[in-house]
Amino acid sequence: MDLFLMTITTGLMVGGIYALVALGWVLIYKCSGVLNLAMGEMTLIGAYTSLSFYTMGVPFLASLAISLIIGFILGILTERIFLDRLIGEPVLSVIMVTVGLSFFFKGIVELLWGTDTRVFNPPVFSMEPIKFGPIVVGQVYVWSFVAAMILLVVFVSFFKYTQWGLSMQATADDEMAALSVGVSARFVYAAAWAIAFMAAGVGGTLLGNINGLNISVGYLGLLVLPAVVLGGLNSIPGAIVGGLIIGVLQNLAGAYLDRYFPGGVKEIAPFVFMAIFLLFKPHGLWGWERIERV
Amino acid sequence: MSTTFLPCGVYHENYAQDHAWFQTNLIKGKMILLFVLLYLVVPWVADVYWISVMNQVGYTIMGALGVQLLIGYCGQLTLGHAAFIAVGAYTSTLLILEFPWPQFLLDVGLAYPISIFVAAIVAGIWSVLFGLPSARVKGFYLILTTMAAQFITVDFLITQYISQIGGRGQAFSLPAGTIKIGPWTIDSDVKVYYMILTFVVICIAGVANLVRSRVGRAWIAIRDNDISAEVMGINIVQYKLMAFFVAGFIGGIAGACWISNLAAISPEHFPWFWSLWLVGVILIGGVGSIHGTVFGALFMVVVMELLQMAVMPLSDAYPKLLMDFLFIKEAAFGLSICLFLLFEPNGLAYRWWQIKNYFNLWPFSY
Repeated sequence: MDLFLMTITTGLMVGGIYALVALGWVLIYKCSGVLNLAMGEMTLIGAYTSLSFYTMGVPFLASLAISLIIGFILGILTERIFLDRLIGEPVLSVIMVTVGLSFFFKGIVELLWGTDTRVFNPPVFSMEPIKFGPIVVGQVYVWSFVAAMILLVVFVSFFKYTQWGLSMQATADDEMAALSVGVSARFVYAAAWAIAFMAAGVGGTLLGNINGLNISVGYLGLLVLPAVVLGGLNSIPGAIVGGLIIGVLQNLAGAYLDRYFPGGVKEIAPFVFMAIFLLFKPHGLWGWERIERV
Repeated sequence: MSTTFLPCGVYHENYAQDHAWFQTNLIKGKMILLFVLLYLVVPWVADVYWISVMNQVGYTIMGALGVQLLIGYCGQLTLGHAAFIAVGAYTSTLLILEFPWPQFLLDVGLAYPISIFVAAIVAGIWSVLFGLPSARVKGFYLILTTMAAQFITVDFLITQYISQIGGRGQAFSLPAGTIKIGPWTIDSDVKVYYMILTFVVICIAGVANLVRSRVGRAWIAIRDNDISAEVMGINIVQYKLMAFFVAGFIGGIAGACWISNLAAISPEHFPWFWSLWLVGVILIGGVGSIHGTVFGALFMVVVMELLQMAVMPLSDAYPKLLMDFLFIKEAAFGLSICLFLLFEPNGLAYRWWQIKNYFNLWPFSY
């Protein structure tokens, strides 16, 4: 029972980070209809930037802020240089541009920071575990979860209560109508990429604090896809719930199925689950069901 | 993009001419020249290094042909084709290593050809299995399920279970002399070159004929608008699964051929990168065109080799460059895909078509 509770708790905490990254993903998809497979590499860029500044001696929060600014700039640049020309192109072209971007980013990251695992040194969060009754969780997990939740609240209230957020929602809902009331769609696309880049950077930094940072953290970008599919592609609450579910599921699979299928169950469990889920509910839990007519 | 304009004064008089593969004598002559070049001149002129590059091109063509069929002709986006190539390669290897072949089959050297065929069938069936979701979902969701195919097949089943068979550890190696076709033992690069070239020609001819047939027309109808296709009476599930089967079949042949070159396989030969690479090949070559596949494969492999040759002389000055080259290659691959999609979205095949028409129609280009 303790194992079960502990697995669920850890899963939820990691799931919070997935939710953060999934939020950025859904945002891009919702606003501009771009399916972004470069999300993993975007987390890597943000994470490595904050790591470099942290190792240089900048305080953790300040280096996180710097990485957020750099993510913001890079997001706008990426959108302007690569995605802006692709509006209205077939879905395959757009997806493959993001795949190309993911290789480009990955190559650059490897070139700049190498492939060895790097850790935040000295550790940002203390190693002392926190006890909730019988459940023992590392402090890193707790703080990551708290940080992810705070950011999720910030992002969600940004969409609900600010002018920018409202115009982004309007564009996502009906691009033509938004254009006709004076919302600049190009501005919204750029803002979506910038925010997604920032969210990815925070997610990557938090994950880097848990297990150290290397190129395989970019795999997270792929793990986000099952989460997004689960929640429905164009639903922000769906992304959050999907992220949490995938986090729990992955840890449960790791804890209970590993002895029956030794090896990488933990890595592929989300994908197996997603493949089965897609067969029964192709639009996710809260996705829009599109009815097609000829 | 399929039809080339004929030069002024050349026209068809009957259906046979209209349906012919090589529509004029000039084209026929060019094709014969190409075959002579590929079969006789290239192995005679090229050194071992370039022969191995050519083998790589051939393998890439075969792999990308299945992706081209799925994406370019049937509109089923796939990002997991390396899994089916891996299934083909592992089936063939396991058959050669573990299957108790009767002695007379080994003597006449039929073990490897039979294993290629079985590998192709198994890879095709495996591909259909992961194509099943295409009955329900399409577009982006299909990409996710094919991605799942890649991770489940290569990263899980093959790495954890299949590659443990026979207690050889991770990598299988094929002892010298086991890969035989009839009386020929495939043991040198030139022999591998001839074998791969022959299989590439067979696969290209097969696919090119298939897309001209009733099946191919159904696929193209599904690609252009699947709902209209269904309304017109095409059983779209059946045809989609058929496309997956043929693509997997070709992938299986590619995998089984490739082990003759490596004489060893391990799961690292079939990463997700390879699946993406194959999609990149058809995008750069041109989606929905058979010779686009060939151009794309040539471009990707040869340009990467040239890049390597350009970088190597610098490595004396910067020793770190050798190590970093892998990353440069990765970044260059990503950037080239992006730039091609932005500036040449129809691929190299379209450019080739324009050049051909320019010469065919010259001097009256209207």
